[in-house]
Amino acid sequence: MRLARRQLLAAGGGLGAALLLPRKLPAASVEVIEMRGSARGERIWFSPLGLAIAPGTVLRFVNRDAGNSHTATAYHPDNFDRLRRIPAAARAWDTGFLLPGESTDIVLQAPGVHDYYCIPHEMAAMVGRIVVGRPGDPGWEGPAPATDDVSAEVLAALPPVDEILARGRIEGPAG
Amino acid sequence: MKLLPCLLVSASLLATPAFAHDEAALTAAPPGDPYIKVSDALPLPEFIPGLGTLFVDPATLPAGPFLAYDHDGKLSATVYMTPLEDLQNGTAYDGLGIGSHTVSGADIYYNAGHPGVEAPHAHVVLYHDEGAKGRLAE
Repeated sequence: MRLARRQLLAAGGGLGAALLLPRKLPAASVEVIEMRGSARGERIWFSPLGLAIAPGTVLRFVNRDAGNSHTATAYHPDNFDRLRRIPAAARAWDTGFLLPGESTDIVLQAPGVHDYYCIPHEMAAMVGRIVVGRPGDPGWEGPAPATDDVSAEVLAALPPVDEILARGRIEGPAG
Repeated sequence: MKLLPCLLVSASLLATPAFAHDEAALTAAPPGDPYIKVSDALPLPEFIPGLGTLFVDPATLPAGPFLAYDHDGKLSATVYMTPLEDLQNGTAYDGLGIGSHTVSGADIYYNAGHPGVEAPHAHVVLYHDEGAKGRLAE
């Protein structure tokens, strides 16, 4: 795996935690979310589409699409003034554009449901949902309600939280 | 008298700076003004498998023409990108330029979007020689 551009971000863990995270990385578990697409770009998707993780898990977003660039961008007012669809305790997170072969690491700490999208492909409903922790965890915040800020296609693409928790990971129709 | 219309047409073509019909200026990359390399302006690979290295006049977006060059800088295809919703709503993309008047084949297929043309759209690819598709493949 080529890591041409890689950065480590901590969302919801506070500045102190963010500064300490690189030393803790070797012991942290890593989950990979691939950005994928068909050869001619007819279909694009995150794999997995839905993922349950423990707080502090390293999420590695990797662009496996040879002909396209992608982002993983949390729905948050700090990201292009979008309505928040991640827990209030979490900071906005965004991988930025990743070219083929590139990857970025993100660490999510805030318990609850984190919905995110790919900037150039949101119109094609390239979105994903990460569930951090479990209901009942301190600070847990469930899924954001439907709003006009996201399309019906996007809402339909997001897997139910209970299904993600039950199965751990969910692949989309294209994955 | 019959020469006059031809001369007028020729003069008008010569006066057009590197337009899509000025084939000689477009056969090798870079095509020059007003075309820019797509990967210089947008977060996309310099060589896109299936499309090659693309140049476009920004004023012609989203439809193009996008000029597609192979790894050796040879013009291999002209590509148009037409958002489906625009077409459905009555937009017509007429009178588009073309990189070369020699066309050996054409592909039309759906694309879900990418930086620059984010709305779902059709790719219309005109190949300019028999080997072009293979050279643009990867």
